[in-house]
Amino acid sequence: MSRRARGEGRFAFLVHPLSPAHRRLLGVRWVDPPMALGLDRGLGLTDVGPIAQVGLPGVAMGTVLSIALDPAQMVAEPMDALVRMWRAAQLCPQAGAVGLGSLCAVVAGRGEELAARLPVPVTTGGAATAWALHRNTRAALAAVGRPRGPVAVIGSSGPVGRAVAALLAGEGVAVVVDGKRGGKGLDVRVAEGADDAARGCPVVVGAGPTGGSLSPGALAAGALLVDVALPGTLSGPAPAGCTVLAGEAVLPPPGWSRRGWGRLFHLFAGYGPRQVFACLVEPLVLVAAGRDRPYALGRRLEIDDIADLGARAEALGFQPRLARGWRGWRG
Amino acid sequence: MPAPYALATSLDQVDDAVWGKVREAFAEALGLDEEEVLFEARIIGELGAESLDFLDIAFRLERAFDIKIPRGGIEQSAREGAGAEEYEKDGVLTQKALDLLAQAMPEVPREEIAPGLKATQVPELFRVGTFYNLVVHLLNLKAA
Repeated sequence: MSRRARGEGRFAFLVHPLSPAHRRLLGVRWVDPPMALGLDRGLGLTDVGPIAQVGLPGVAMGTVLSIALDPAQMVAEPMDALVRMWRAAQLCPQAGAVGLGSLCAVVAGRGEELAARLPVPVTTGGAATAWALHRNTRAALAAVGRPRGPVAVIGSSGPVGRAVAALLAGEGVAVVVDGKRGGKGLDVRVAEGADDAARGCPVVVGAGPTGGSLSPGALAAGALLVDVALPGTLSGPAPAGCTVLAGEAVLPPPGWSRRGWGRLFHLFAGYGPRQVFACLVEPLVLVAAGRDRPYALGRRLEIDDIADLGARAEALGFQPRLARGWRGWRG
Repeated sequence: MPAPYALATSLDQVDDAVWGKVREAFAEALGLDEEEVLFEARIIGELGAESLDFLDIAFRLERAFDIKIPRGGIEQSAREGAGAEEYEKDGVLTQKALDLLAQAMPEVPREEIAPGLKATQVPELFRVGTFYNLVVHLLNLKAA
């Protein structure tokens, strides 16, 4: 991996399996038999590997690489995760940018520690997630016939939640956030926690990186929950009549290539056959634009960068699409 | 930095060098100005930290002090301290658990560690000072 390679239309995207079962099925494509059978914990440093090729031929192609740590392992050993992420990036030496998925974008300083060790931009996917979540939230408001809200933003203290709250409030939508840190400097109402924020809102945005923070009973009848949290924002099954939607779902353009393993990877990550998750789009756009700076890193996420990314992604044919991921069906 | 350090119950008792790094770690992890990071500030209720922010905070403290913070360390040490005695019953902390927590978290006003406290409510008690004292404890162990 070198700066010389930047601009050649290649990127790496680092992920990890979302559960021990997921790891055995798809965590690393070329696994050792003991790991595939669940007989070891995948703690050897060689347990990183490519699992899929995805992208837009002629524009930018990416290699999805998985490190063989499930979420509990990622959380318990962030330095170990960092070493594996670095090793995974080395497997894609021609990459001009590195994108991070799931907890790869959270552990070890939200990408900052990895970025300090690589010669190319590392981007967390926060800008693309905020772009898609904002657009999908607007679509949800249109669907319920309440374009001016109110919208509750859960996880408003995080970069994505705060950005979405700011974007909506800037458009004149009535926004309720779940904590005063999320509302700092914004024209929004600050509620006392997630349940208080969600009450009475026809559209609720789940913008936290992990969920379980919102009681199902706090949702209004018929509410739409536009969610990016994984696990989901709700602490239990969605009430009858309420719908959980995949907030970061994006419809890829014609020509999008992901072959069999890429389809399988998306399916296991909770997306339908014509969906990709937004954070995967971010390093692709970054490489296609020949941009030096990441769109999002650490807690840094600027409204201008979200707008720039969104414009470039749409020019390439990506469209946020309000839809159920299959994890949405689980509520 | 010289060890051993004393646990602190207020800002005027802290070691300036240790406190400076703790405050910097919180400010970076939570996107705050350092002036906003107060010793007595509740990490969840006042600084707005979420579960994954704790990961980031712990990671930054580990890097800053070259220590290893056990995940769930504060409550875990209290559980272990309870030994064979019951730590919680139906999710509510026993008197023994309350006493151990009060001992482990001298920076938290004792009246907040009161009968009826649930195990799930313990993180809401955490102050920035809680992590200062955890760092001090681990630095002292490392130096011993």
